[in-house]
Amino acid sequence: MFADLSDKFKMIFKRIKSRGKLSDKDIKNCLHEIRIALLEADVNYKVVKEFISDLQTEMVNERISESLSPSQQIIKMVHQEIAKILGAVKSELNLSSKPPTIILMVGLQGTGKTTTAVKLANYLNKKGHRSMLVATDIHRPAAIEQLKIFAEKSKLPVFSMGTKERAVNIVKAAIKFISNKDYDTLIVDTAGRLHIDEQLMFELEEIDKQISPHETLLLIDSMSGQDAVNSARVFCEKISVNGIILSKIDGDARGGAALSLRKTLDVPIKFVGTGEKVDNFDIFYPERMASRILGMGDVLTLIEKVESAYNEKEISRMNQRIKKNDFDLNDFYLNIKKMEDIGSMEQIVNMIPGASRMNLNKMQYDDRELKKIEAIIGSMTLEERNNPNIINGSRRKRIARGSGSQISAVNRLLKQFSQIKNMMKKRKFIKNFPFS
Amino acid sequence: MKITHILNHFKQGLTKSRNNLKAKLDLLIKNSKSKEIFLEQLEELLILSDIGVSATQEIIHHFEKINFKEYEKNDFIYFKTQLKKILFDMLDHSSPGIEAKKDQLNIIMIVGVNGSGKTSAAGKMAYKYKNEDHQLLLVPADTFRAAAIKQLDIMANRAGVEIIKSSENADPASVVFDGVNAAKARKKNMLIIDTAGRLHTKVNLMNELKKIKKVIRNEAQNNYSLEILQTIDATMGQNGIFQAKSFNEALGVTGIILTKLDGTAKGGIIVAIKKELNIPVKFVSIGEKLDNLLLFESDKFVNALLD
Repeated sequence: MFADLSDKFKMIFKRIKSRGKLSDKDIKNCLHEIRIALLEADVNYKVVKEFISDLQTEMVNERISESLSPSQQIIKMVHQEIAKILGAVKSELNLSSKPPTIILMVGLQGTGKTTTAVKLANYLNKKGHRSMLVATDIHRPAAIEQLKIFAEKSKLPVFSMGTKERAVNIVKAAIKFISNKDYDTLIVDTAGRLHIDEQLMFELEEIDKQISPHETLLLIDSMSGQDAVNSARVFCEKISVNGIILSKIDGDARGGAALSLRKTLDVPIKFVGTGEKVDNFDIFYPERMASRILGMGDVLTLIEKVESAYNEKEISRMNQRIKKNDFDLNDFYLNIKKMEDIGSMEQIVNMIPGASRMNLNKMQYDDRELKKIEAIIGSMTLEERNNPNIINGSRRKRIARGSGSQISAVNRLLKQFSQIKNMMKKRKFIKNFPFS
Repeated sequence: MKITHILNHFKQGLTKSRNNLKAKLDLLIKNSKSKEIFLEQLEELLILSDIGVSATQEIIHHFEKINFKEYEKNDFIYFKTQLKKILFDMLDHSSPGIEAKKDQLNIIMIVGVNGSGKTSAAGKMAYKYKNEDHQLLLVPADTFRAAAIKQLDIMANRAGVEIIKSSENADPASVVFDGVNAAKARKKNMLIIDTAGRLHTKVNLMNELKKIKKVIRNEAQNNYSLEILQTIDATMGQNGIFQAKSFNEALGVTGIILTKLDGTAKGGIIVAIKKELNIPVKFVSIGEKLDNLLLFESDKFVNALLD
């Protein structure tokens, strides 16, 4: 079994670090390993070839500076190269100045169009837009129903005309339908199709020509292999694609396809799908993706998520309470709630630099544990939460019963909490605490 | 369906990739002036089919040992035969498909990552075995994805196969519990269970599958067989190995259904999966129609790919 790209790079650089200086042979070995690592990460064969040759030129031309170690320098170089290919700048959606903005979602079967259409509508509405979804997948059984049910969960409206009407006519009718209503965005879900299916591709060409969507987004599964560039190229040739959404990046695929697509097509990656929930959807950041691919973690995303979960008032309040040693079970409870907003344990761990090196990402996290702790604290009275010391045997029994857990679980939680409090007393811990 | 018909189907589905590969290989054979170029082009061809770096290196290694000077240009045909043989040897040679007996409950549980084609495969498989005169019952245990139950329901209708009732957000293990018991009560000999798609990295969701498997064992008790088939999308890259590994560790996967082979992707990942994990491919899916599920046959797979 092969190591992933970041682990491979770490191995290469560790070897170089131990040698000190770079010889021609070092460069050759290094390039060889990078090449294999990229191929194993599903970067397209031809793209790897080009990438390696660019890198070689740079390695030969660049003088190894005195201040940096060779390994640091190569890490920087490879990172820069990958970030450069990924786009270096983030891309915004093309929103029409004159509403409605029409967004078309296209892609192969099973790439996540329907799910992502709803996520995108939810994302735009959070930014103040008023989106309506349009169901044109008249081919797959129950596809329209899937869109309706998923949209309903987020209270998003869906326009549909059953499975008998042509897709282009459904879109036209939707545009007409909202002309005197308060919507500014139409997000059109289409059937999944093979790029070599002439008939179905014609269906898209028809929409493309007659409607001219402001934004056509191509869904690419982040686990795709070498063929990703071929299918994407055909979509881009037949219709005017102006953005890519990379789906299912919450798995453990390194997403080499992202590199291949950016290198071979002049289309930016705009968003990523990070899970099955409606808000598991993010803007694509090339720099971050490059870091992620290189195993440098994704600290920026983590910081941003923590920041958005806590407002300033809460942070300063939490700081005060920790300093005064007033941190109680209420605060603990609040923090657990916040953690759930930030993401699953697994998602958080994957953003930590070096998580793969420490094998943290291989550990199994059960997010239900947090739910259990929540339930236990939820079964305590306010007084008990403010002053856990009063929780005696009979109170413990009641709490266990109330939360549907064992007394031992209540005991464990109280013990853990007192350990955390003890640690907080020590300055060293406070220094490292996110709120300090 | 007649054998020739199946063969044509299989070939039709593979035409695109076959043409592509055939053209490349022919070009490669014609143009190879030196060993180095030959090996490099062979590497490109193999990597682009998604069979992975390690399997590619193994194949390249075979050819590195050959002294090219002994061969005339025309003899490169010989290498093509060699390549075929090597690929063939890497694949499985046990009988494809699954053995369904009339006098026992044959249970098939279909698992895989999101969007890999489980529900379609379940419908197609029901159609296939119904036509072979088995008494079937379908179980829609994907209670998570919106309208997945409805999707299987429509396919069951088209295939003319019975399906049990289930509702969104129901506990999938309890749906399977009902399914196994219904199959016994209705005297069925085949039960096909569709499960929700899940990424192999989600611990809770993988545990959910283990629970389902336990329920099957407890309820079926005796006189049954259980096949756990994993759908692998032919467009899948090297992550397919991790997928197969995780599902296999959790459940013991007995076979692969290679889906979406009618595109331009080669599905080479199955070679790597066989090599690393020894899991055979049992079926291939080559289109959206009910009869687009075929038995996997390694010689035909390799032939259709290279001839």
